[in-house]
Amino acid sequence: MTLPIGADPTLNPWHPNAFVESLFVNRVLFGGLAKPGKDLNPAPDLAASWKAADDGMSWTFNLRDNVTWSDGQPFTADDVDYTFNQIVLKPDAGANGRGNFSAVSDVKVVDPKTAVFNLSRPFAALPSYLAYNAGILPKHVFAGAGDPWALNSFNKGTPVSTGPFKVQNFTSGQSVVLTRNDSYYAGKPLLDQLVFKVVADANTQIAQALSGELQIMILDNKAAVDRLKGARGLSVQPRTLVQYYWLALNQTDPRFHDVRVRQAIEYAIDRNAIIQAIEKGYGTIANSAIVPALKTYYDSSLENRYPYDPAKASALLAEAGWAASGPDGLLQKDGQPFSFTMDVGQRGVLQPTNELIQQNLKKVGIGADLNAMEWNAYIQKVVVNRDYAATVNWWVYPNDPDVLPYYASSAAGKGFNIPGYQDAALDDLLAQGQKTSDPAARKPIYTQMQAYMADKLPYNFLWYPQEIDVVSDTLQGVPDLNLRDAMHYVQEWSLKKS
Amino acid sequence: MLLIVSAITFFMINLAPGGPSALMRFDVTPEQREALTRRFGLDQPVPVRYLQWLAGALHGDLGTSLTTQQPVLDRIGERLPNTLLLSGLALTLSIVVGIPMGIASALRRGKPTDYTLSTLSLLGLSIPAFWFGIMLILTFSVTLQWLPSSGVATTGADFSLKDRLQHLIMPTIVLSTAALPTVVRFTRSAMLEVLGQDYIRTATAKGLSRTVVTYGHALRNALVPVISVIGALVPRLVGGAVVTEAVFGWPGMGRLAVEAANGRDYPLVVGITVVIAAIVILTSLLVDLAYTWIDPRIRLA
Amino acid sequence: MTPRARHGAWYRLVRQPLPCASLVLLVALHLAVVLGPRVWTISPQATDPINALLDPSPEHPLGTDELGRDELARMLQGGQVSLVVGFCAMLTSIVLGLLVGALAGFYGGVASAILMRVTDAMLAIPGLFLILAAVTVFGANPVTIILIIGATSWMAVARVIFGETLRWKATEFVQAAQALGASGPYVLARHILPQTTASVVVSATLGVGIAILTESALSYLGLGIQPPTASWGNMLQNAQQYMFTAPALAVYPGVVVTVVVLAYNFLGDGLRDALDPRL
Repeated sequence: MTLPIGADPTLNPWHPNAFVESLFVNRVLFGGLAKPGKDLNPAPDLAASWKAADDGMSWTFNLRDNVTWSDGQPFTADDVDYTFNQIVLKPDAGANGRGNFSAVSDVKVVDPKTAVFNLSRPFAALPSYLAYNAGILPKHVFAGAGDPWALNSFNKGTPVSTGPFKVQNFTSGQSVVLTRNDSYYAGKPLLDQLVFKVVADANTQIAQALSGELQIMILDNKAAVDRLKGARGLSVQPRTLVQYYWLALNQTDPRFHDVRVRQAIEYAIDRNAIIQAIEKGYGTIANSAIVPALKTYYDSSLENRYPYDPAKASALLAEAGWAASGPDGLLQKDGQPFSFTMDVGQRGVLQPTNELIQQNLKKVGIGADLNAMEWNAYIQKVVVNRDYAATVNWWVYPNDPDVLPYYASSAAGKGFNIPGYQDAALDDLLAQGQKTSDPAARKPIYTQMQAYMADKLPYNFLWYPQEIDVVSDTLQGVPDLNLRDAMHYVQEWSLKKS
Repeated sequence: MLLIVSAITFFMINLAPGGPSALMRFDVTPEQREALTRRFGLDQPVPVRYLQWLAGALHGDLGTSLTTQQPVLDRIGERLPNTLLLSGLALTLSIVVGIPMGIASALRRGKPTDYTLSTLSLLGLSIPAFWFGIMLILTFSVTLQWLPSSGVATTGADFSLKDRLQHLIMPTIVLSTAALPTVVRFTRSAMLEVLGQDYIRTATAKGLSRTVVTYGHALRNALVPVISVIGALVPRLVGGAVVTEAVFGWPGMGRLAVEAANGRDYPLVVGITVVIAAIVILTSLLVDLAYTWIDPRIRLA
Repeated sequence: MTPRARHGAWYRLVRQPLPCASLVLLVALHLAVVLGPRVWTISPQATDPINALLDPSPEHPLGTDELGRDELARMLQGGQVSLVVGFCAMLTSIVLGLLVGALAGFYGGVASAILMRVTDAMLAIPGLFLILAAVTVFGANPVTIILIIGATSWMAVARVIFGETLRWKATEFVQAAQALGASGPYVLARHILPQTTASVVVSATLGVGIAILTESALSYLGLGIQPPTASWGNMLQNAQQYMFTAPALAVYPGVVVTVVVLAYNFLGDGLRDALDPRL
């Protein structure tokens, strides 16, 4: 069974160089304490059960006792201890995903099958985060081996793993071949072999899916979906994602302080048109930060909060003082035209999205210039230096409504609160949501939060995309989850003999 | 020479805005960025880093790649044979097909053959290589499904010469458009120049058969400028490989260079440039040697 | 070259069908690209996502692109951008090449050796690598791209001019002029350089083609002219995504670039044959 990845992976989920392509392989190789359940709630993986303490300041995880590493060593709480205390939480290690565990102060081993996570503040989402690219690494390989990021026999070769498949060989620039792990704790996987083929070009991936060289892939280039729908032997499956696109209006720019301006811009952008043109209809309008996939918490009543209404946008802008039209067709206030530059990172669908938004804004008299930048330079300017006026991007996050890191006042400036919107009322709601892990108790908090966000627009929410997977008819057993989450169930997949 | 190349590249790439990809992720915290900066040694000033690199390089250690933590030399070594294979084949194809085409063109000057060959050569020079590649993929991989569209070989399968050749055909053809037309044109003009010379006419007048004249005398002399052109074509082939490798997903140095530049993998970029410069210098030396062999009258000055 | 020889050159040129046809084609194309937007006033940036990927119709003779923009308008703008970039890059490379080649050829000595060494060194480095590195550092706007392409393609011109300068330096009338007391720069400008016009014209013509191809390769790699400004190169890159659903979008820019570069190459070849009848 072959599937494509865009580049050579790094076989270590915490490695600073583990980018998107590594995700898919690492989720197969390294079990985490939890994994995404088929209903998106965290399901047991290497931990059979867990419980939060009454004061919410710690979580206890009971580990399975029948898990072995692919080299025969038993999996114990020492591995969890080492992974977190010595690798993830270490301040100068620079582990990928470190920011997700800022609430964890340390991990203690109670006995070989029990580990306790001690927190510096309540963190209801911990199990979901432990299911999110948080595979456990073997202590007996890394202890005493020096810099974990330089252990290339592991990271770029044949690592020691707990998953249903283990690495057979790694050919740089070409493929990573995995074979079945017969001693996998949940039973023998149905497939013998799993091949991750390095195919960098999106069109080549499509060509290979059409010719049968690949059995499953994510269709990044949604424009080709019609061609693939008509292909024999393939089916096109839409999947839900925990992702939303947004437009950040930098709050250090006084023009964007006025909520009416942000709302006006929200009305001015024709999001349906963007979804049709760019996502080929595979997406829904977003007016808040919780995605529809999180069914327990998503509030669908907000769906029509901001229909496409340029007239309303102009009215709101006029209220905010942007009325008179200057000679260049742009709105003016205090003699200054309403124009700014949007920085565009060259990745995914950002470029055409910005082009459409630019035209939408022009229609209501706002002049946006586009500054297309190569990705690394863009990150430096926008994320590291926060030197921008407006920019479009997206967030992907674990299957939990806790979105504090992206909205907290404390996260403005250097943290993940990119626009820098600061609001004590919002902070309060976000903190409350972290305190209890009971969904019934959290739901009203997050309903309130969504309504508040839709009103105040800390980010200008754009849309929730869907993922399109192209699956060969010979491949069976793939759950109805986006491919990243589906990788946790790869032991259930099988190939039909045609 | 290599020193200058390495120095220029090192300083240039370090000037580029943005930093290594590991630091430039959306979800990286400032603490992580600082920690990684120190780990990668990027908190030291550029000249210091260059000297450190140089010290290592003189011992054969070209540093550690920032995007994978592997030694640069290893990463280059993984990809170099693929590029050499592709470029070498493209060059061979260009010579083996181009020289006869050039000769034919020269011998039939002004006739339809000449026009056709010349036009085809110019077409080869004019067509954007990546567009040509995409059109080939559309035709042969997607529509006709005769040839695979990317990679060196079919993954997971055993080694098969036929499989390798199938993967090689299209990229080689596309890459040779960088060299073949030039070889044809140069051979043609060199042959024409030589054929017009007095001693050729003398030989023909003396009654030697046309064939002997052509292949014996004219060719030998015409080959001299052609050899020099081949030397100049090597950089063009290596440069063309960047685009060809991108289109056909060929795991070679060209793609590695683009990835390294985009990912600001400083040691890797410098390493690749130095290696390529070394290859080009080596090739020109070989070409010079070939010169002396072809025409013993030329001595190395 | 004497006026009489030039007259003969023109005569020889128009007798060759292909270069002649190319000249006509190029003139027509350049006129179309310059005047076209005045006649065809639809904005190349105006998006209309509902009407994306339409087939050709009276309103949109070449159909629409993936965001509903008129393809003809974009081809015209793309033409303006690609041709201007091509021209200016070529001019830059000619100026640099002339400077280096003439100075090295005329003055000789250590300076000349160094200059030609540098030229050879730069010829040795694959152009695309240099350009890649330069674009990463200096950014990808039209001005830097023109300068970068120009700065990486002057070497061939320099070599040619170097050879020509050496040749003409040794002729009698130049030596006579020097004997009469004419200064170096004067001799260079007044006597030698005009003799190199033929080579310069040929190099220039061929150079435009090369510059256009380089720009489109750069845009293909994402390092060239940035959208929403259309250039034939970045239109090709965009169209690659739609290869399976609307292949026509990839055909228009690809065919036009090929035809334009081919025309410039034919013209350049024809000029070379016409101006230098020895071959």
